[in-house]
Amino acid sequence: MTLRMRRPLSAVAATLTAMAVVAGCSFGESSDTAGAESDGDGGAGGGTLTVAGPIAIENLDPHGAASMDAGTQLAARAIFSQLVISTGSGEFEGELAESWQSNDDASVWTFSLRSGVEFSDGTPVTAEDVVASFERVLAGEGPLAGNFEGYTVDAPDESTVVFTAPSPDAAFLGKISSFFVTPQVENDGEFFSAPVGSGPFVVESFEPGQVLQVSANPGYWDGEPELETLEFQSIPEVAARMTALKTGEVDITWSMPDDQIAELRADENLTVESVPSPGVFTMWMNASRPALADPAVRRALWQAVDFEAIIESLFPETGTPADAPVSPSVLGYAPQEPVQYDPDAAKAALDQAGFDYENTVIEWQYSQPQFRNFMNAVASDLAEIGVKVEPTNKEQAVFLEDLLALNWDMNMQQIGSQGYDAATNLGRLYTCEANRIGYCNEELDKLLAAAGSTSDVAEREDLYAQATEIIWNDAVGMYPMFVEQPYAWRNSVEGFTPVSDGVPYFHEVTVSGD
Amino acid sequence: MTYYLVKRLAIGLLTIWGVVTAVFVVIRFAPGDQATVALGPDATVEQVEALRHSLGLDRPLLVQYFSYLGDVAALDFGESYRYGRPAMQAVLERFPATVTLTLTATVIALIAGLLLGVLAGQRPGSLLDRAVSTFTLGLQAVPPFWVGIMFILVFALQFRMLPSAGGGSPAHLVLPAVTLSIPFTALVARISRSGIAEAMGEAYVQTARSKGLTERSVLSGHVLKNSLIPVVTVVGLQLGNLLGGAVVIETVFAWPGLGSLLVSAVGNRDFAVVQAATVLIALCVIVLNLTADIVNAKLDPRIRLEAPR
Repeated sequence: MTLRMRRPLSAVAATLTAMAVVAGCSFGESSDTAGAESDGDGGAGGGTLTVAGPIAIENLDPHGAASMDAGTQLAARAIFSQLVISTGSGEFEGELAESWQSNDDASVWTFSLRSGVEFSDGTPVTAEDVVASFERVLAGEGPLAGNFEGYTVDAPDESTVVFTAPSPDAAFLGKISSFFVTPQVENDGEFFSAPVGSGPFVVESFEPGQVLQVSANPGYWDGEPELETLEFQSIPEVAARMTALKTGEVDITWSMPDDQIAELRADENLTVESVPSPGVFTMWMNASRPALADPAVRRALWQAVDFEAIIESLFPETGTPADAPVSPSVLGYAPQEPVQYDPDAAKAALDQAGFDYENTVIEWQYSQPQFRNFMNAVASDLAEIGVKVEPTNKEQAVFLEDLLALNWDMNMQQIGSQGYDAATNLGRLYTCEANRIGYCNEELDKLLAAAGSTSDVAEREDLYAQATEIIWNDAVGMYPMFVEQPYAWRNSVEGFTPVSDGVPYFHEVTVSGD
Repeated sequence: MTYYLVKRLAIGLLTIWGVVTAVFVVIRFAPGDQATVALGPDATVEQVEALRHSLGLDRPLLVQYFSYLGDVAALDFGESYRYGRPAMQAVLERFPATVTLTLTATVIALIAGLLLGVLAGQRPGSLLDRAVSTFTLGLQAVPPFWVGIMFILVFALQFRMLPSAGGGSPAHLVLPAVTLSIPFTALVARISRSGIAEAMGEAYVQTARSKGLTERSVLSGHVLKNSLIPVVTVVGLQLGNLLGGAVVIETVFAWPGLGSLLVSAVGNRDFAVVQAATVLIALCVIVLNLTADIVNAKLDPRIRLEAPR
């Protein structure tokens, strides 16, 4: 599962507003003045930090409809605690869980909870809270529910929680690392406008889609954060966000487009750093479409694009040529022989496969505007050998519906691996049953099923390596680029650690006078 | 007057019904399913069906429509699935920011526009007139989106005079309001210029002059009052377009208004919020148009609010 990174869909909105136009009738102020405060209680003395990510925080409910949005996850990491967090390829760290283990086929997972952890209102975090939170996810109307279909959860005692999967699920830890524990509450609506959690920060005020203000939680189980207050702002327009960073209105930002990064680097007040992420540019080719059914054709199309040159010119800061469908930071990464750019060989292979240049127009769908230049460059390389490709921008809701209905010839997405585990990417998307790509291969199915049903890491790595080879050589998609996650912060910020999934933590950060 | 108001009220209600219906139809027939968007790509078919059922989306369209109409009549706009609270509440929270922005932009446009209009209209064909006309044409031609970004770069980044984004203080209001007012300023300037230029040649102005009035009192007492009528009409009508512009401007400046809420609600297929927002907007347009008519009648007794008999 990938975090949903969404940009506003101005075109549609403009149409709608034009339809039902207009303006105002009353007066008022809707937001508090953002700014530094210092009531100075608690041990916190690290000042006020203001951050602005690319995605607005619209909802603080980590189990609901927005639970997999980057904005909600960002807020949740500040307010709530998880059982475990994933820290890299197959590595996990316990938060609420002190230890965990699975049975041999990875279908029963048992967690022992850390003792003495409290919510910020002083009530203890119990196994019952974990169970209630998980049941809320299962009953919920959000995207997390799809991860745990058929699961049951039980609390045999105060500090033990047992999850039982309907079938072996070696990726469980990866999936559960997007799960946050909240208190058991009756009235969800009110609660989640200022929820109580057991995370490093406590909600002070929240204006959905605009500003979230939190302060240090003195009782945080891992030690009270140094920061006094932390403010998350929403600045959707890139130029405005970059300006806010340069002027000091914002201390940290991330996920900047490549064309902004060089300029930020030139500013001596800023530190810019990129870290490898689990994201991979993934261009599936729908094998259930006759024109793309032949692996030789798909392979030839891949060969016809000079990805190295395109990446160098469009993503000099955040892109590196890929050699596998999952990134090196993911468990199950197995490097493959790169596909060499060779338009003549590509053309010859297409000729030999009897590709119908005249009557084939490949519809290539995407929803996120940042792909546009890349896709146009690819399409023009393919046009060089006479293949017609039409990049088609779809609005998110339409894109999603078409994606699931396999209503596309080629699909463009940046796909990550939740929990840094190939199971959540290859294992989830490439099976015949998932039917997400139009590609079905029984041998691959067997490998993926085997890899998903053992907790032996070495064996899983080996199985994913075999699976990767099939996916790569059959050109289920083109996998041109590993994506790096860029961050920039003011030099007054100390102790900030960029994380690879673009959803950073702030409890170890301090700020000095700027 | 009373008859007129009652009639206008009835038309207003009819218009709101039309807007409610149009939005309902458009949103239901727009591709992209609310339950699918909410649950994401990993949900099973059963989960999607269950959510559709709990949202009532599996009922026949007509049933959905009438139950929705009933709710709206009772001022119940439903729950936003995205924000997990009543849709109208989410909308009303954002509304004041948009009103503040739009009204400020209107005031700026009226002052600047009339000033430019007077400058140009007083001596039609003069160098000043041509300069102002060219300038206002330029204002109308530049895309506000681009102007907004330029303003940020100049006033926030270069001179550090104003904040680049966000809401809350009067300083935050300056850049978005000025940006939003630009095309409107140009429009007001052009309309008032032609009104003033025309009035300058009218007989009653000659009369006023020949009475020995100063040019200033001729302008304020006779010319301006008459040439204001088309301006008021246009302001009333254009406030609508102003909100359309506010959607873009709010996004550029991260202004916490209705526009950005509506944009994200449409993307998320958050029907309840879209419907609540459009009804509120329609209501405002109706009220504004009515106000413009009444103001016009006050300015010009020839415009009668009574229905013809």
